[in-house]
Amino acid sequence: MMLDEQQLQKLLRLKRFEQPPPGYFDRTLNEFHRRQRQELLRPPAVQIWFERFLSSLWSFRVPSYAYGAAFAAFLVAATIVGSGVWAPYKEMVGTSSNLAKVASSPVIERSSYRLALSGNVDWSNFNPSSVSPHVVPVVRPSQTALPRYVLDGRPVSYEASFSF
Amino acid sequence: MGFDPLLQSKGLMDDQNLPDDEALVRQTQSGDTRAFDLLWKKYSPRIYSLIYNMTANHEDANDLLLEVFAKAYRSINGFRGKSSFYTWIHAIAVNMTINFVKKRGRRFQMSLDDLDANVQNDKEFIDLTAANTPVREVDLSELQHRLNEAMMKLSVEHRAVVTMFDIQGMAHAEIAKILGVPEATVRSRLFYAHRQLQNYLEEFRKK
Repeated sequence: MMLDEQQLQKLLRLKRFEQPPPGYFDRTLNEFHRRQRQELLRPPAVQIWFERFLSSLWSFRVPSYAYGAAFAAFLVAATIVGSGVWAPYKEMVGTSSNLAKVASSPVIERSSYRLALSGNVDWSNFNPSSVSPHVVPVVRPSQTALPRYVLDGRPVSYEASFSF
Repeated sequence: MGFDPLLQSKGLMDDQNLPDDEALVRQTQSGDTRAFDLLWKKYSPRIYSLIYNMTANHEDANDLLLEVFAKAYRSINGFRGKSSFYTWIHAIAVNMTINFVKKRGRRFQMSLDDLDANVQNDKEFIDLTAANTPVREVDLSELQHRLNEAMMKLSVEHRAVVTMFDIQGMAHAEIAKILGVPEATVRSRLFYAHRQLQNYLEEFRKK
């Protein structure tokens, strides 16, 4: 015979009689206090991590040849950068010669922020700001700027004379 | 709220002389740890029973009980009294136990508390064993194991509802508040869980 709903509920209520041993809740309260005290005394995780990091630094022994290797690497890097063999990037400066090149071969390919010149391109669609942030906006002087250096009545330079 | 008469008779929930929860919570919030001890005394048996019946393992219930109260203590300053402390701590316990059981998966062993000797004198037990039910045919510890095995076949959400309604005697509305679901959901979960339990227990009888 199957248990009906009421019998099942009565049966489930018998589970109230499953009890932990006497004195359990008082003992567990003591355990709770002990854990709370431990938690208060325990330093935060960041502090533990920092202390471990510091102690690992002190215990870290650098091999003697590493100093020499580091100094040699520094010398090589300084030589390369100082001699101008390598520069992080070259900006295309809007000088008159550069402008002339752009005007005569007007294809600008977007390739890792550099300008490449080849083929024919419709200049009407050219938008310098979409091509590269390094396209220098000195393509033509401002309308209001006065030529600083004039030769035979024709402006030669817009730069200050002391830079010649 | 329906406190368990069995626990009260054992002095585990002698809460008549305790200040009300609101006052205890306020005192705890102002740094009085003894007030929280009183909340522990008042609610730990119920919370333990809830966790134990959801996990069917005494050691897990013990660990989770400590974690639930530790979490409640840590977050009590954020308790604004929108619900009762009773509902709040039950919600913490149910959520933590559901997460725990889901993480534990199927890898667990039952470790059950002993049945109180008073069960033999309980009117409901006498009724059950007198009637022609599966209960009549098994001894007490076997019955305990069968019941727990049947319970553990339910999903943890269904087990939570059965524990709170059938074992702890809570009302549907109260359970709905604790679980944060509509009352209709509680009722349908109960209905489904009862059907499942009846089937499992019937299978045991046939074996």
